[in-house]
Amino acid sequence: MSEKKGEMGNQLKWRADACLKFILITGILIAVSFGFISCQKYQEQTFLKIGLPEEPRSLNLWLGTDANSRKILSLIYQPLYHRDPQTLEIIPWLARENPVFDKQALTYTVKLRKAKWSDGSDFTSQDVLFTKQLFFDFKIPRYYSKWKIIKKLEALDDHTIVFHLKKPSAIFMSRVMTAPIVSRKEWENVAREALTKEKPLRSLQSHSVEMPLGTGPFTLTEYKKGAYIHMQENQYFFGRGLKIGNSLLGPYVKDILFSIYGTSDVAILALKKGDIDFYWWDIQPGYIKDLKIQANIDVYFNKKSALYYLGFNLRKPPFDDKVLRQAIATVVDKDFILTRILQNFGTPMHSVVPSGNHFWHNPDVRKYGQGKDHDQRIKISYEMLTKAGYSWDIPPVDRDGKIVSPSDIRLPTGEKMEKFVILTPPADYDPKRAFTGIMIQEWLRELGLQAFARPMAFNSLLDTVKGKHEFDAFVLGYGKLNLDPDYLRAFFYSKNDKPRGWNMSGYHNPEFDRIADIQRTLIDREKRKEIILQMQEILLEDIPYLPLYNPHIIEAVFNERFKGWVAKVDGIGNMWSLCVVKPVE
Amino acid sequence: MRNQIYIFGKLIEIVIIFFVILTALFFLFRLSPGDPISKMVDPMLTPEDMRHLIEQLGLDKPVWEQYLIYLKNFITGNLGVSFHYGEPVFDIIKERLGWTILLFTTSTILAALAGVYLGKIAAWNKGSRLDNVMSISALVCYTLFIPWFALLMLWILGFKTGIFPLGGILTPELWVGKSSVFIRTMDVIHHMILPLMTLFVINLGSYLLLMRSSMLSVLREDYIITARAKGLSEKVIRNKHAAKNAALPVITSVGLSLAFSINGGALTEQIFTWPGIGRELIFAVSNNDYPLAQACFLLIALVVLLANLIVDILYAYLDPRIRY
Repeated sequence: MSEKKGEMGNQLKWRADACLKFILITGILIAVSFGFISCQKYQEQTFLKIGLPEEPRSLNLWLGTDANSRKILSLIYQPLYHRDPQTLEIIPWLARENPVFDKQALTYTVKLRKAKWSDGSDFTSQDVLFTKQLFFDFKIPRYYSKWKIIKKLEALDDHTIVFHLKKPSAIFMSRVMTAPIVSRKEWENVAREALTKEKPLRSLQSHSVEMPLGTGPFTLTEYKKGAYIHMQENQYFFGRGLKIGNSLLGPYVKDILFSIYGTSDVAILALKKGDIDFYWWDIQPGYIKDLKIQANIDVYFNKKSALYYLGFNLRKPPFDDKVLRQAIATVVDKDFILTRILQNFGTPMHSVVPSGNHFWHNPDVRKYGQGKDHDQRIKISYEMLTKAGYSWDIPPVDRDGKIVSPSDIRLPTGEKMEKFVILTPPADYDPKRAFTGIMIQEWLRELGLQAFARPMAFNSLLDTVKGKHEFDAFVLGYGKLNLDPDYLRAFFYSKNDKPRGWNMSGYHNPEFDRIADIQRTLIDREKRKEIILQMQEILLEDIPYLPLYNPHIIEAVFNERFKGWVAKVDGIGNMWSLCVVKPVE
Repeated sequence: MRNQIYIFGKLIEIVIIFFVILTALFFLFRLSPGDPISKMVDPMLTPEDMRHLIEQLGLDKPVWEQYLIYLKNFITGNLGVSFHYGEPVFDIIKERLGWTILLFTTSTILAALAGVYLGKIAAWNKGSRLDNVMSISALVCYTLFIPWFALLMLWILGFKTGIFPLGGILTPELWVGKSSVFIRTMDVIHHMILPLMTLFVINLGSYLLLMRSSMLSVLREDYIITARAKGLSEKVIRNKHAAKNAALPVITSVGLSLAFSINGGALTEQIFTWPGIGRELIFAVSNNDYPLAQACFLLIALVVLLANLIVDILYAYLDPRIRY
């Protein structure tokens, strides 16, 4: 028996030796190969390497409307006019100069640059005409609703077009002129075929775009799904060497490589290691301390054109009462949210137009509870509610003026207010909004309001609030608002109070509707500004939404290889940056 | 003959179950809150735009009509077009499935082979220090929290030491240049090692423990004592008499794990940025991309149903006592 065990022991030993040798030799071979790979890698030319959080949805312009597709497509397809990154004014881009407006005829005459598409063919008026026709034929979402104000589009010659409008439009420059123009050559046959299908738009969106034709600074060279996107400078880019806005345009980088990082943790490691030069995504404040101690990392903080707010359902009690909403607005401590939840990376928001949008922002709107401490806020809210007929068995402020734990609040009718729910996105989707909801719940309970913050899956939340209108209050936000404040009309116009409509609160104010309609037709910016400021005042008086905060957009770059990023509202990740960023000498 | 009847009966059963799953999936997705458009939080989109999009996706029709269209398409081999990507679902799955099989099926096979081998040794040396070390290590592996362990691996082996890349399937700089097929193959292997190691370690524990416990129960059987009494060598007793019988429950587990491996692992794929089907499935569900999500689930259901059948057949082959 022991002999057999000894024999087995020897055999096992021999096998273990053989395995070890095999592993050693394989390991050496693999190590040599990987060493060789690394040498090859570093012999390659300098690429600007950018990390993306997700794969672009599609490189078909009509389907790729998500943030990541837009990052790629914004470098390819260009509009007639763009916003200057510093002044935020609308400036000529594919257009050569500002349009000539004929007030009587209601026409805008636009002269085009002598630009070329990335295949070397000429960009002409026909491309603009074709783009307009595409918007109309397919009723392309986002564009058709804005472009249908055009009565006729006329090409005077190859580089002059005239837009005939049905009526004056304040948003013509910001919404129509900033739409991307596509090449007739690229899309004509595709569109013709799609129009013969049962679902034309779907057919157009399903067209696979391998090599998009654009007029932008970069062209697509290769898209290897699940791995990378390779873009190269557009030899025919019209802006090369031109000074537009304050930027002397390049591009100065020959190649860009976009790669995907499934989590921010890994993307940050890649940035620190120098695997990527820029992570094109809003970084959470928790990473900042770690990044700031790295000499080869620059962290950028910029204002966002965003609105994060507490919304009320004005269609039913108790939030159909303006005084209650104002009392809630008073008790909500925005500075607390900013310091504790946003860790000071943002600004408290008082108006529904972000302060970064300085031309349209109204700094003089009513600011509830500003400069007051916790107890003062409760006292002011208590007074407001008492005056409006609300009552308590045990009020939140006792006879000596001390803050106490109150009983449930009673409505002016004498009935106890029912408990209500504040819907928020879940913490794994947006911890800021989820925790803000919990804080608001606590402040409201100090007034005797039985508030319950409830996180809800984002899809369900939108369906409940926007689709079914079955809610009491909610915390939501818009991360990227257009810089034109016409969205105020979309959010609060009474006709938009319908399922899937943007008036989620169910706000109805005839005076607001009236001036919202007027501002839409005002071409004079200063006159329009007066009305936009007035609209903000009305909204902050009526409080269908209580603006809460505007977080900073936080971005980081690896600074050893490239420099010259252009900071603007919404961050350094933009087309301007990629037009001017240069290799470090 | 009886076996053939059994298999035929099983196949009919599979078809019925599959049809039930297909129907349940279709209605479950339609009943869940929201639709593919509801998540679009873009004030530029008017309610009319949204209605137009819904029409174009065919979601304006009654659900029963949508179901009939889906059924007709499915029977004719058309899985539909992804709402999100605008590409045929079949192409998306084909593309992603390859990467998932490469990583997850490989790791499952390797972990199963190593687990069976080590479990056998651990059981054979029951009570020894080797057994204790193996059992405790297997328990640790079995209970590891995947995201934590995957990030730890990336941090140590990818970031700190720089031996392996930080996720992805390839090095873009190499692929856009003029690199040879050998270099590209090695590059993919280089990217694969870290996720493979992670999955291997996590899967190994369960197979080792399963094999060990199965082997221990077999070692107490009379036929093992008989084999010893007959004077057979320890190696023959261990490998031919004990291990072969002990492997039966492990085969069921491996069979099902292999089937489920095509499901990938959303967390692992997310952390290692591996473009597999697990990540895609999560995206499809969260984006309400019905055609893609349904097709992914159906694929998993089909493979699991077939794997069950194969395991049943394999059982009969490995254990002559089992007859259907």
